[in-house]
Amino acid sequence: MRNTKTTIPQKNLQTKHAAMLEELERYRLLVENVQDYAIFFLDKDGYVETWNEGAQKIKGYTPEEIIGKHFSKFYQESDRKANKPAHELELATRFGRVEDEDWRVRKDGTRFWANVVITALRDQSGKLVGFAKVTRDLTERKQHEDDLRSVNATLKEQQIALEKLNISKDEFISLASHQLRTPATGVKQFLGMLLEGFVGEVDPKQLEYIRKAYESNEHQIEIVNNLLKVAQIDAGKIMLHKSNVDIHKLIREVVEVHRDNFRRRKQSVTMDLQPASRFAPVDLAHFRMVLENLVDNASKYTSERGNITLSARANDNNLCVSVQDTGVGIAEEDADKLFEKFTRIPNLLSDSVGGSGLGLYWANKVITLHGGRIEVQSKPNKGTTFHVYVPLGRVGA
Amino acid sequence: MRRLLLVEDETALREAYIMILSSEPYILDTAVNGQEALKYCQKNEYDLILLDLMMPVLSGVGFLEKFSAYSNFSGTKVILLSNLSSGADLVRAMKYGVRRNILKAEVSPKQLLSIVRYELER
Repeated sequence: MRNTKTTIPQKNLQTKHAAMLEELERYRLLVENVQDYAIFFLDKDGYVETWNEGAQKIKGYTPEEIIGKHFSKFYQESDRKANKPAHELELATRFGRVEDEDWRVRKDGTRFWANVVITALRDQSGKLVGFAKVTRDLTERKQHEDDLRSVNATLKEQQIALEKLNISKDEFISLASHQLRTPATGVKQFLGMLLEGFVGEVDPKQLEYIRKAYESNEHQIEIVNNLLKVAQIDAGKIMLHKSNVDIHKLIREVVEVHRDNFRRRKQSVTMDLQPASRFAPVDLAHFRMVLENLVDNASKYTSERGNITLSARANDNNLCVSVQDTGVGIAEEDADKLFEKFTRIPNLLSDSVGGSGLGLYWANKVITLHGGRIEVQSKPNKGTTFHVYVPLGRVGA
Repeated sequence: MRRLLLVEDETALREAYIMILSSEPYILDTAVNGQEALKYCQKNEYDLILLDLMMPVLSGVGFLEKFSAYSNFSGTKVILLSNLSSGADLVRAMKYGVRRNILKAEVSPKQLLSIVRYELER
């Protein structure tokens, strides 16, 4: 070394020395002026040796106040009692560095959430000469994290509460339907006995009134049933069980069920069932209720001697079942409202028909669940046609 | 002669069903809850039980639980006659091998009789 030194010209040495000093000064300025990090040295026993602007900003001490003091001042009382400062220096000494995230204390006694890295500093012989300590104030981040955690916990609680509420809502709807049906059942049975001749002959005028009361009660039961069906479908409680259903047989059965109504209203029924539309993958029970609903509406909203036509056709992709009537019809601007909940379009027959305004809403939901759609064409006083489209994909596909 | 047990807590409905079922030549006993129905079942063997679900003292499901402990339902058919069309109770009841659930609000007197006749002859 000495030999080498002597061979370097004096001027070069001076230049190198000046460059090193300049470099050191740049580092000093860098460290001193950093605002967001407390960067300072501790001696090997943990006493503060240097202090930068960041340290002053974060911890609140001026260099005069803190240099020469022990760094355990920055710890909470409980941590000091637990000997945490000494333990951290010990870890840094053993492993080269230690990192910690925890509360630290400012000069004014307030807490801040700190990320602390303590690095052991050794001379060329490996002897410990002190520690470099870099501290960041992460209180704001911690606050955000805590807020987020708290919001998450609240959301979780609310989700659990909502799930419980949903279960109680389902049970409530089920029980309410039961309670509403019970008195209507009593009325139905007693009037039914009168109508069905269980207690002998009733004179025609009385019979007419009894029938009116019976029908009114049937309407009440229908409303309760529809409310329950809508509540179930809105709660996502409907599971479709699709099978390859004989659509033509189903249509004939639906017509049969309504035969009495057609006869009473002197309505004629036509069926146009094309061979290709014989089978389709639908949920039999739900699809039947949709068709019954449409056929029931067609008959109710068609005056005496009108006609109801049921047709089924299919192309490669879709089955289309249409229910056409020659009834009162709907104005174009009202057509879209038909599928909304509790919608009833006023017309010549609506007062006498009754209705809950839920049937088509429910039917449309069921067909949507099938992956299909219901379309309506109508002209006031000419009639209405509902087209029910469902995809002809394989069952289970 | 066929022996039937009607289990129904609602007085008006019980009266109506007694009138309807009495129009046929059946021996008919009536109980107002599951507890009373169990007592009848310990004394008599029934061809058919018409069982309501929601009842005080002992519900229809409670009755089925206890009844199934000593009967395998082989001689006795059970029809639920209830106004529940959904819910946990109905699901539980259906597990006990009952023949069917009749929604009370959906059947007229004549329809009830034809269902009872059909189930007895089945």
